[in-house]
Amino acid sequence: MRARLQRGLGLLHLCLLRCASLLVPGELRAEWWQEWRAELWHVRFALVPADEFSWSAEQEVTAFCLGAFQDALYLRRPLPQPRTSLAAAQGSASHCMLVLGAVLAASYGFSLLLPGVRAEHFLSQHRPEPGLVMIQNASRLVPGPTISSAQFRAWSGRRQKYFDGLAFYRLAPATVTPSSGMQTGWEVAAASSNLFALLGAPIRYEGFGEAIPGDLPRLILSDAVWRKDFGANPRVIGSIVTVGARKARVAGVAPLGAWRLPGRVDAWLLESDSELASEGMGYVVAHLTALGQAEMWTTRVPITAYKGNDTEDDLLGVALDQQAPLPSTVFLFALLLALLALPAITSVTLDETSVSSHRTSWPRRVYRWGFLSAKIALLLPIVYLSSIDIAYWNPGLAPSTMVCIQVAAGFAGCLFGLRWALKDQQQRCPVCLRKVEHPAQVGQASRTFLDWNGTELMCMDGHTLLHVPGLPTSWFGAQRWLYLDTSWRFLFAGPAAGINNEIV
Amino acid sequence: MAKETKLSHTAAMILQAVEAGFVYGFSIMEMTGLPSGTVYPAMRRLEGDDLIRSQWERQSIADAEQRPLRKYYKITAAGRTTLEASRKRYPLLERLIPSAEASRI
Repeated sequence: MRARLQRGLGLLHLCLLRCASLLVPGELRAEWWQEWRAELWHVRFALVPADEFSWSAEQEVTAFCLGAFQDALYLRRPLPQPRTSLAAAQGSASHCMLVLGAVLAASYGFSLLLPGVRAEHFLSQHRPEPGLVMIQNASRLVPGPTISSAQFRAWSGRRQKYFDGLAFYRLAPATVTPSSGMQTGWEVAAASSNLFALLGAPIRYEGFGEAIPGDLPRLILSDAVWRKDFGANPRVIGSIVTVGARKARVAGVAPLGAWRLPGRVDAWLLESDSELASEGMGYVVAHLTALGQAEMWTTRVPITAYKGNDTEDDLLGVALDQQAPLPSTVFLFALLLALLALPAITSVTLDETSVSSHRTSWPRRVYRWGFLSAKIALLLPIVYLSSIDIAYWNPGLAPSTMVCIQVAAGFAGCLFGLRWALKDQQQRCPVCLRKVEHPAQVGQASRTFLDWNGTELMCMDGHTLLHVPGLPTSWFGAQRWLYLDTSWRFLFAGPAAGINNEIV
Repeated sequence: MAKETKLSHTAAMILQAVEAGFVYGFSIMEMTGLPSGTVYPAMRRLEGDDLIRSQWERQSIADAEQRPLRKYYKITAAGRTTLEASRKRYPLLERLIPSAEASRI
């Protein structure tokens, strides 16, 4: 009975040690088990009497075995990590993400600060109504004012099949005298009273000063003039201004970016069609009916206008919503061009060639691809915002010029940005994604065909070495990774692995 | 230059025990009265910091005595330097566990 009990307790102690051994890291487990088993033998030999059963001795042995759990847990603890300093973080995946995030925030900040970019954002949110066309003379190749106000009045007085709204504007310099008395010269557009309504363009402070009596024509100020000549004072709304020889009431301010039709305008004098001056040429904007929109299946459509004396005018309708593409559309076009051009300037393959038969585990591969995706996901908005910042910083440029600048900036940004993203990925350790450093020239260039020569870079966490051939050959064309085993780790130990800490 | 290692009293006592000739875990437990859950992890730390070194005994010795192989611990040069400093810090250390040389006198 006593022997059976002792054997049972002996088995229990071995079980305790075996359970504790499961907590020990695999590479240390065999030796740990051997040491503790030997120690247990000696403990039993020293404490447990051979000829009698002793509960106290068995309790001591059990306490000894329970201590094995603490030892196993100690071996399981993570190695002390060096404190992450800025220098240590440099080259790491998180550092890269942080930098990209900061650049993205800066690009966004710039886009908020630049008035031209703000105007473009405004315009993107207030696109012209679908079905708006600019009507111009087909014989004029260069865009310009081609329609007389008499012609416009004749059209607007007639019942139209294809148009349900027509508006006219004509640009002319005018001397303006505000109520303060300071005379200035503006470029004033004498326009139909429905121009802004037809365009769907908003007017700020519209409705202010409506209490002022009189049937004076309304004057809409441009944002630039409102800021320059009136100090961005909203109280100017409702005041009387003399434009040339006529008086007009300031009725609102057109926000920056609201005007994208031909001609630079400082103010719009909105009058009824009958009041529009007969002399001079102007522009006509029209809104198509459903029938008209169905007929207009391209961005330009020829229009024939019949005059009273059976003669015809050859006109052209140019869709306004197609005139200035959205910045996002322009960017996507630039991105497509960059993707097509990318293989010409860099290797787009991310295949991993290893010197040994080592294969990276799939979670690591997922992590690696996730990092590349995150990098590109941050890079593209940076390029998009930067291209907008560059293209639209000057609101005085023509829309077509802005689009061209954005295409060029977007293309260059996408091309070189994606190239950087791929190059950077190719030089990151597949294990920890830290950038490999300390390039060392290996071999002699003159021995390229006899022996390997090129550059060797190392992961500062001691995971890998990267071999980049100096001259690609048929047997060593692409870079290769050499995975280092754990025996190399001591070379890369950080300062925390030193012995200057208080222990136990 | 690396800073001098500062040992806690427990670690210093274990190092003193190893230096005094108690060269395996159980003997250190018996000498110091510390439980196994303290002694073995402490020895791992001391070994990790190169203050002691472990070595398995020869198979022939264990076979001759009909017992399992045992792992012995030995103090290193760095360990002796550190122990000297610890003795100044904990003056009673040598009285608790007299060193091998002292016990021979």
